[in-house]
Amino acid sequence: MDSSSVKQSVMKQVLAEANLANARVLIEKLQENCFEKCVPKPGTSLSSSEQTCMTSCMEKYMAAWNQVNAAYINRIRQEQANN
Amino acid sequence: MNAAQTGIENLDLEKLNDKDKTELRQFLANEQQRSQIQAQTHNLTQICWKKCVTGSIRGAKLDKGEEGCLANCVDRFLDINFLTMKHLNNMRS
Repeated sequence: MDSSSVKQSVMKQVLAEANLANARVLIEKLQENCFEKCVPKPGTSLSSSEQTCMTSCMEKYMAAWNQVNAAYINRIRQEQANN
Repeated sequence: MNAAQTGIENLDLEKLNDKDKTELRQFLANEQQRSQIQAQTHNLTQICWKKCVTGSIRGAKLDKGEEGCLANCVDRFLDINFLTMKHLNNMRS
């Protein structure tokens, strides 16, 4: 393997691991927060309304994550421009 | 086994020339920053979710009020962040 392909495989692997780690944390947080919201009083089984709530909540939490991420990056840019 | 499947531990890093080393360092610095921002985003999303998404979940989309609240929440939290730093600095002197 030459220099360029060594470099590219390092990049590829770092990227894959970073993305996996990020997805893991997102899923963990999403479960924690949506469980809180959708299953306030755990019954003997998961009801269909709890299931519907959970799938909506997952999408909503991801939308919130994206929005927060964009707002945060925006603010960092602003602060950098001001300093 | 092709290059993409080779673990980093099996790669011969000695083969990297100076140009690729510099590029790789830059790439790693960027990735480190990206992952810090993502970690802070996880933290902020949880804080602001609790503040802004207070009703029961009716749909998969954020409504207008929630969107506005999230934007304000991020900005105000960061205001607090800066304010805390500033005040701690003042206390020191």
